[in-house]
Amino acid sequence: MSDTKTVDARGLACPQPVVLAKQAIETNEKIKVLVDNETALENVKRLGTKLGCEVKVDIGKDGSYEIKLKRKADWAGTKDDIIPSCNAETPLSGPFVIAISANTMGRGSDELGTVLIRAFLHTVAEQTQKPDVMIFYNTGVMLTVQGSEVLDDLKQLERAGVQLLVCGTCLNYFEIKEKLVVGIVSNMYDIADTMSRAGRLLVP
Amino acid sequence: MNPKPQYSVMLFKAVSYVLKAEKILKKEGLPHKIIPVPKYISSDCGICIRFEPAMQDKIEAALANKVEIEETRTLDN
Repeated sequence: MSDTKTVDARGLACPQPVVLAKQAIETNEKIKVLVDNETALENVKRLGTKLGCEVKVDIGKDGSYEIKLKRKADWAGTKDDIIPSCNAETPLSGPFVIAISANTMGRGSDELGTVLIRAFLHTVAEQTQKPDVMIFYNTGVMLTVQGSEVLDDLKQLERAGVQLLVCGTCLNYFEIKEKLVVGIVSNMYDIADTMSRAGRLLVP
Repeated sequence: MNPKPQYSVMLFKAVSYVLKAEKILKKEGLPHKIIPVPKYISSDCGICIRFEPAMQDKIEAALANKVEIEETRTLDN
C-alpha cells in the first residue's frame, strides 16, 4: 500500500484545487485534498468521479472538507479536458434553459438567420453540455412541427433527456398544433416558471 | 449506441453559395444537412453541407455548373 499524499488547497481559488488534485493523483494512488469551500469540494469530487476514483468526503469541524480520492482498479490515467471552467461550472441553483424565441437566429437577414438557427441546434445536439430544458415560443414553435429542418436534432436532444416545452398559444396562433412532432405543448405558467428558476438562461 | 455514421462535408467560398446549393439539393430531394464548419477544418464561423458519402456523386452532379464547390472532405469521427 502506498502512502496517501495530502494536498492542502485551502484558501485557493478555482481552478487551483482541481489542478493540484489532478497533478497529485497522476503520481499517487491515493490522495487527500483539503478544501475550504463548497465549489472546490464539488469540483474535486467531480474530478474524482470523472477519473474513475473512489471518492470519500469528511467534513472538518472548521468548515473545511477532506476529500479522499483513491484510484480504482480500472484507472486509465487522467485526461486533459477535465479542469473546470470556473465561471460556468460552479454549481447552478437551477436548470440550464435555452429559449428559442424565433425560427431564426439573430436579427437582420431572415435567410441567414434560418441557417444560423439550424447550425446552432445541430451544435447544441452534438455538444456534451446539453440544456435541461428548451423552450420554443413565437415563430420558434415552427421548428418543432412537420417540415422543420431541425427535427432530427430536436429528437436527438429529447432522447438525451432534454425537456422541450412548446408554447401552445403560439402553435394555436399559427394553426399548426396538429403538426407538432417533438416536445410537449406547454403554457405560459410553465414557461415563465422554468425561465424564472433557470440557473442559466440562454437566448440565441 | 450505434456506431457513428460516416459523413462528408462540402465546403464553399461563401455563405451565399451554401444557401444556393441548399436550395438546389432541396429541390432535387437529395438528403443533406447544414452544419457549422467543423473547428478542425476552419475556425471561421462558416457553414457547410454535410451528407452521406454515398450521395456525393449525385450532389456534385446536381450542383455542377451552378454552384462552385471549394472542397469536399470526409469527416473524422
